[in-house]
Amino acid sequence: MAEALFYLLGAAAVAFAIGVVRARMPLFSILNLLGSFFCLAGIYLLAGFPFLAATQLLVYAGAIMVLFLFVIMLLNLGDEAELERHAGLSLSGRRLFVAGTSAALLGLVGLAAADATTVFAADTLPEGRALDDLSMLARLLFSRYMLPFEAASLLLLATMVAVIVLAKRERQRTTPSSASGPLTAARQEPVESGAPR
Amino acid sequence: MSVPTDHLLALAAILFALGVLGFLVRKNVIIVLASIELMLNAANLSFLAASRHWSQSTLAGQGDPSAGPIFAIFVILVAAAEAAVGLALVIALYRLKQSVALDRVAELKG
Repeated sequence: MAEALFYLLGAAAVAFAIGVVRARMPLFSILNLLGSFFCLAGIYLLAGFPFLAATQLLVYAGAIMVLFLFVIMLLNLGDEAELERHAGLSLSGRRLFVAGTSAALLGLVGLAAADATTVFAADTLPEGRALDDLSMLARLLFSRYMLPFEAASLLLLATMVAVIVLAKRERQRTTPSSASGPLTAARQEPVESGAPR
Repeated sequence: MSVPTDHLLALAAILFALGVLGFLVRKNVIIVLASIELMLNAANLSFLAASRHWSQSTLAGQGDPSAGPIFAIFVILVAAAEAAVGLALVIALYRLKQSVALDRVAELKG
């Protein structure tokens, strides 16, 4: 059962990854990436890493994907000329397909979660425990991996500062003058080109 | 789950190859960043596959199974930082060019 689930989730992860590369619009690419992350979370669960499966869902699917989608929505991407070349299913058929695959995917991850209990009892794992036992990870993180941990906190701080500087610079320059900054001009342009849709 | 480690590593290799393909072929910056995330995830999967491999009872004491999840956590952290900086760069690029197509950014081309 667990083996069949692994191969099913693996095939789904590869299919979604192909979708990431092939998607015409960045929005579909990111949604495919989300599907791939869900499948990988199921695989982590099956392989005996429940904490990392949860982290995968929280950090990747929860935070990083929302950041991607936020930028896509903010920049009003997706209604480029590429849209017209997007052949294939009709819109309603595509919606049905997406809804169906999402439901199947959720079911698969749920099955993996249900199966994980039996997997932990399997004799491949030492005394049937999870491989990413939280107390073990915490103890290691604050003893042997203390230096990487501190470096990671420094990296996060530097990232925060860098992102604020990168994203804010232009706005500071334009706000004193007038509302016709580059950002407002940019925001109007895609709306015009997106009218045929 | 008694899936051999080879199959987990093969899955990681396929996902990494697809990420490389997307990184090299696509012109949209957002899809290129998504491909990088795909590659980082494949690396994570191979870390965890190795950790699971060394935790098997027949190989006890030969490897360190606890290093895999630790490294996976750090990879997730780096991926989060990379996504944040990358998307900030995308916003800055969009302000400059009103586009996210990479072939329109050729200032450094000699």
